[in-house]
Amino acid sequence: MTIAKKIARRDVLKGMGGTIATMAGAVAMPAIAQNAPVKIGILASRAGTAAYIGENGLRAAEWTASRINATGGIGGRKVELVVEEETNARETLERARRLVLQEKVDCIQGVYSTGVSLPMAPTLEDMQALTIFWDGTTQDGVKETMPSPRYVFKSTDNECEAVMASLLVAKHLKGKFKRIAAVSPDYTYGRNVWTAFKALNKKFGIEAEVVAEQWSSFTQLDFTSNVAALKAAKPDLIFCVLGNADLPIFMRAATSAGLTDTARFVLVQAGHQHGQLKKPFTPEGTLLCYNTMYFARPDPSTIQKEFVEYYMDRFKDYPHWECERAYFSMMTYKAGVEKALAAKGGRWPGTDEVASSMEGIEIESFGGPARMRKDHVAEEVFYGGFASHDNSYDVCTLANSYSFEASVLQKPSGADFWKWLETANFPV
Amino acid sequence: MAFANVLFAAIFSAAVLFLVTAGLQLVFGVQRIVNLTAGSVYALGAYFGASAFDWVVVRGGSPLLLLPVLAIAGLLAGQIGFVIERVLRLVYERDEAFQLLMTFAFVLMLQDFLRAIWGAQPRIMGDLPDVYGALGIGEFRFPVYNAVVILCSLSIGLLLWWFVEGTRLGHIVRATAENKAMSEAMGVDTKKVTTLIFVLGSVLGTVGGALVIPTTAASLEMPSALIVEAFAVVVIGGLGSMRGALFGAVIVGGMRAIALSYFPEMEIMAIYLVVVAVLFARPYGLFGKAVS
Repeated sequence: MTIAKKIARRDVLKGMGGTIATMAGAVAMPAIAQNAPVKIGILASRAGTAAYIGENGLRAAEWTASRINATGGIGGRKVELVVEEETNARETLERARRLVLQEKVDCIQGVYSTGVSLPMAPTLEDMQALTIFWDGTTQDGVKETMPSPRYVFKSTDNECEAVMASLLVAKHLKGKFKRIAAVSPDYTYGRNVWTAFKALNKKFGIEAEVVAEQWSSFTQLDFTSNVAALKAAKPDLIFCVLGNADLPIFMRAATSAGLTDTARFVLVQAGHQHGQLKKPFTPEGTLLCYNTMYFARPDPSTIQKEFVEYYMDRFKDYPHWECERAYFSMMTYKAGVEKALAAKGGRWPGTDEVASSMEGIEIESFGGPARMRKDHVAEEVFYGGFASHDNSYDVCTLANSYSFEASVLQKPSGADFWKWLETANFPV
Repeated sequence: MAFANVLFAAIFSAAVLFLVTAGLQLVFGVQRIVNLTAGSVYALGAYFGASAFDWVVVRGGSPLLLLPVLAIAGLLAGQIGFVIERVLRLVYERDEAFQLLMTFAFVLMLQDFLRAIWGAQPRIMGDLPDVYGALGIGEFRFPVYNAVVILCSLSIGLLLWWFVEGTRLGHIVRATAENKAMSEAMGVDTKKVTTLIFVLGSVLGTVGGALVIPTTAASLEMPSALIVEAFAVVVIGGLGSMRGALFGAVIVGGMRAIALSYFPEMEIMAIYLVVVAVLFARPYGLFGKAVS
């Protein structure tokens, strides 16, 4: 026998052995996979400007996962969270890639910043990584980077808050102001919501002169000069888009300088800092927009009641809307998996099947009925109203809580936001 | 009256900036170290001050004790300077880049320390916007506490000036800054001097942070929030000069207040136009000296 023939037979035997081993593994894998936990990667801010928001979301994700596990898991499999930090786009994407490729998570959830979600989305689509963003959908750029996603699911449009604020102003404050001013961090969302507010004022026939615009940086913590400038401009309504630590600082400075005596405030992102909007510097009548969760709503759903009690008891704080986003994402994923599982007669679904099942799914979220549209945009309920001090807390609640379905506040599938603003028939 | 509000805001901003940069200037002036922890110790002072005041109030202390409690809290928190300086001593003889990196390492460690102890949520001092009330005439109205911060900042500046110019220890510090080797030859324990200066620089930062906390919030973004303006102050005033810190703070605080009132979208540009102009006219700042 020649050497070439010996080698050929050896190689064939090796190859056959390898194939047999692989097939044995393949037969064994499904049984092992069925007992393995469902791994969900969470991307949440842990430091800096959005740390508080990320913390809320993470706490809610952990609570939801525990609750799911206590009731049998997802399709009989326990949920395991793998947490990574959301920082800047490049680093967060690297962590997301690690979650997908090394940790082999079944789903990624989280992300707050549009500056992070926009660059991440195309890569996650290419990786076929099932992703549900908690937030991060300011209009500009979403169309380009997430035109028709298959695996990426988006949160409600960020501008819903501004549309709600505008509708409440138009309904309750029309004719009560003539001079308006804006104060906002200088970023796309801030500029978008201010532009949307002015556009809606015009649509509803509200004639108001813009007397000042103050654009701060995200890290600004001293608003003494901004307040002085606003006082000099003498507005009677101030549209405030601040939403981080800057918001309570601004309100305190404004109160100390007497600005809250002469102007009514609209706090578009009050829900981001409601635990810090203490009564002494948040006058009654201030318009507070709570986003998708108002912790003290008079008729809470059972699940919200349970969560708020847990959160306030455990953390001595008031849960904010990122909690609702985290809960919605987790439960939407669970519902999608279980729907796909049922459709497959109990066999575990693949990513494509779960993604398809999630389209159009409806669940009961903290804020009420919520759904994931077929175009992968969430629809939840938004809350807002006018501040009241008549409660037992040290922070404001709402004298009357108004709620709006996202279907009212956000553009329909395929529409352009600015054109939709002009033509939509709002309930005012 | 509108101008009075703007002027008061400018002076307040300048006072806060001076409190932040005084420590930075002191350390660089003597040790030639760009102490990046200045912002972090400022934040530490703010968090510690807020917690100290909460502790006092919970035990029945009067809210009127705000100022002394914060001042003492700032002094106590500033002792962290001993720890930082002890570690920095390991790299004093090495290239300046190592010293810079070491202080940056402390910035990162302090960030995590602040988050671990106080969490991610900003700390605001409860219901205290007007604990000392507000004063004003007509439309010109200001919180008394803000005026107190301005007075404290001036007092600290005067104390520092007296220390450096009018005390024996201050003369020793200046001599060490001018010529360390000669000072050692004259019997000065320069290790103790550098430790003293670094701790004093840290105390200035923590006291500053503690004093301003009622007007702001202690948050994890405090260190980075100050860097932009502190940098402008230091470049305008001149690195290592306390007089420079004062003038730089006044210029930056004033430019900021004026820009926000008349050209709000050019706030940062206005400040940095001044920086560029100063660099052209006096590359080492208004009161700085060439560093050998």
